[in-house]
Amino acid sequence: MTWSSYLPLWPLSVSPALWLALSLVVAVLVGEALVRYAKLPRIVGYIGIGLLLGPGGLGLIPQLPEVEWRLVVDLALGILLFELGSKVNLRWLKANPWIAATSLLEAVATFFAVFLLLSWFDIPGITAAVAATIAIATSPAIVVRTVTESRAQGQVTDRLLLMTALNCIYAVIFHKLAVAFMHGETGTGFVHSVLPPLYLISGSALLAWLFGVTFERIHHYVGQHEETFSFILFGMIAFATIMASTLKLSPILVLLAAGLITRYQRQRPRTFPPHFGSAGAVLVVLMFIANGLAADLGGLRSGLLLVLLLIIVRSAAKLLSVLILGHYSGIGLRQTMALGIALAPMSSVALLLTLDTSAMFPAFGSGMGLVLMSCIVILELSGPILVQKALRSAGETPEKQT
Amino acid sequence: MSLMSFAPSRPLSIGVELELQLLSCNDYNLVSSAPDMLRRIERYPHPGDVKPEMTRSMIEINTSVQQEYGALVEELRSLRNVVSDAGRFLNVAVAGGGTHPFQHWSEQKIFDAPRFHHLSELYGYLAKQFTIFGQHVHIGCTGPDEALHLMHMLSRYIPHFIALSASSPFVQGHDTGFASARLNSVFSFPLSGRAPFVLRWDDFEQFFGKMTTTGVVESMKDFYWDIRPKPEFGTIEVRVCDTPLTVEIAAAIACYIQAMARYIMVEQRIAPEEDDYLVYTFNRFQACRFGLEGIFIDPRTHEQRSIRDDIADMLTRIAGHASELRAVEAMERIREILIAGNGTSWLRQTYAREHNLGDVMQLQADLWMSN
Repeated sequence: MTWSSYLPLWPLSVSPALWLALSLVVAVLVGEALVRYAKLPRIVGYIGIGLLLGPGGLGLIPQLPEVEWRLVVDLALGILLFELGSKVNLRWLKANPWIAATSLLEAVATFFAVFLLLSWFDIPGITAAVAATIAIATSPAIVVRTVTESRAQGQVTDRLLLMTALNCIYAVIFHKLAVAFMHGETGTGFVHSVLPPLYLISGSALLAWLFGVTFERIHHYVGQHEETFSFILFGMIAFATIMASTLKLSPILVLLAAGLITRYQRQRPRTFPPHFGSAGAVLVVLMFIANGLAADLGGLRSGLLLVLLLIIVRSAAKLLSVLILGHYSGIGLRQTMALGIALAPMSSVALLLTLDTSAMFPAFGSGMGLVLMSCIVILELSGPILVQKALRSAGETPEKQT
Repeated sequence: MSLMSFAPSRPLSIGVELELQLLSCNDYNLVSSAPDMLRRIERYPHPGDVKPEMTRSMIEINTSVQQEYGALVEELRSLRNVVSDAGRFLNVAVAGGGTHPFQHWSEQKIFDAPRFHHLSELYGYLAKQFTIFGQHVHIGCTGPDEALHLMHMLSRYIPHFIALSASSPFVQGHDTGFASARLNSVFSFPLSGRAPFVLRWDDFEQFFGKMTTTGVVESMKDFYWDIRPKPEFGTIEVRVCDTPLTVEIAAAIACYIQAMARYIMVEQRIAPEEDDYLVYTFNRFQACRFGLEGIFIDPRTHEQRSIRDDIADMLTRIAGHASELRAVEAMERIREILIAGNGTSWLRQTYAREHNLGDVMQLQADLWMSN
């Protein structure tokens, strides 16, 4: 028997998960401190600590291996997207078509504003188009998390949730379309440029519908027991996410659509605990830390001006579109401003779309991808604050902050 | 400040005020959407009036002065439609009922108007607990003394109005066991209860003058009495009813009060006595607690019977007056309530079936908003 058989070797070799566990403790403590002393949303602390301790900051914690990071993000984002979908009342679009119009205008304006800006910077058309589709999406993770945390309710909150769900759908579909054209440019036939989006939409819709039906059945039998139900739900979300990836569908689209379908079919909303229980909430926190760890500010060095302009143009397009139609859709100026500002955050959805594109086209990853990553980091850190301030100024948070 | 002189109004004319709940379509909790709703409603022509109330999760609809059931129910229906349409446009559900079954009072926000902020400062949490929803019925009187006479005579029948309209069994997530738990919130106000026993307007003015010099009250609005005179309208205002679950029931109860007022003014013609009030709080408690099953003690004969029987008896006595007022259909609806039960029994049955107060609230809103 030697020393080494029962004593650890020095230097210790530890798994990255240990560091993630440690940063969870630190991040949650910092989050609480932010709420208590600065009245800022907790997630700023989660992302901030990930950014600060991770490779992008002080470098105390190594980047998580891609597979583990992806698992955390996929699961947590799945929970948040399903949660978002089940909070959104699609029938409202029929009763108030102005909201549908606002949503379409906002998405189209964002796309063209970003596309024109990038073209002006001499970025090739198809690359600019892919980036512009990614810019359409408002972060569902930040929106859902901040709304839950601030216990906001009212017109701006409802519209923010609805418009976020819609612009994520647009972003995923048009991103797929743009990527298909990018493939076309690198030399595949026309058929292979048109089929992908069709397959994506119909396949995701089918999987989402199956998910919704199964969800209803299971909820019918074990819905009373909240804990049991949340275990099953996690299993289902993980299954749907992995299944969607296996079938080359979009997990984002599948889970969002599943939530929307569940709500639409049943007509009656259900109230679930936030993120379907504390296990879900832990995953959500981990996701924000992991996003911070994955943050890459490399794009700032080469393209600071472009990053800043991209953020400004994207935010302005969203704000102006909402301002134009706000009055017709039945909200006042103050609320319209709040809604326009709250649409700014970018996070996991944009990040996943960017990474997926970079994986397919390394050239995108080393150029435009870096610029987008920097935008995402900035709008991920400032996003929760913007949403919180906007909801507060619209008078939709409880009067006494807790 | 002295009391405004009593404006004469057409005898037995009626007006109805209903306080309504505004609900989020996401969880059917109360939502502070009154400013959005009012901004939307302003843009559409509608009869009567739609006004803000104490907290931002309530609005009030008022009818104009009406004479009979048919026109009253029509006006209430069109007001309901205007409000429901605005609600659908804004993803806000609108419902009747005296309380919200699971709202938390501390989450309510005071509507931004000086009077409401003043009341909120004065009454503290009571003002937010006042997120309760009532029906007020105005009855026109020829003169002030007639108004006081009618007010004291109608006081005997307060349990009828409470039991018929009762629709607030649930408060803060629990079944209180009361048919109308809403009134328990009203009773915690210092100036609630009944008006003093004065029969002449001169004496009433004197009473009011003394109260204002004490600094306790500034206007009639500071009295939260079960029935109070409203001199600027020339009416008395019955304030004990919960907002019923549909406008049709609200109109029927208003016309029941109207027919009873006609019976009191035209046929009964006996003077009120101070001793009529000996059984007042007992009878009122029975109505709040047990609804139509409550015990009613006749103040004059001391005979005991159920409130349901007393209403059935009254319906027979006022049948002639009701048909004079063209309120036969309204009396039929009252009779239906005696058989099928009031809003509280509907709510309890629905809860027994759904096991979930959120679902109950949604069905309650569907009932109110459907045509």
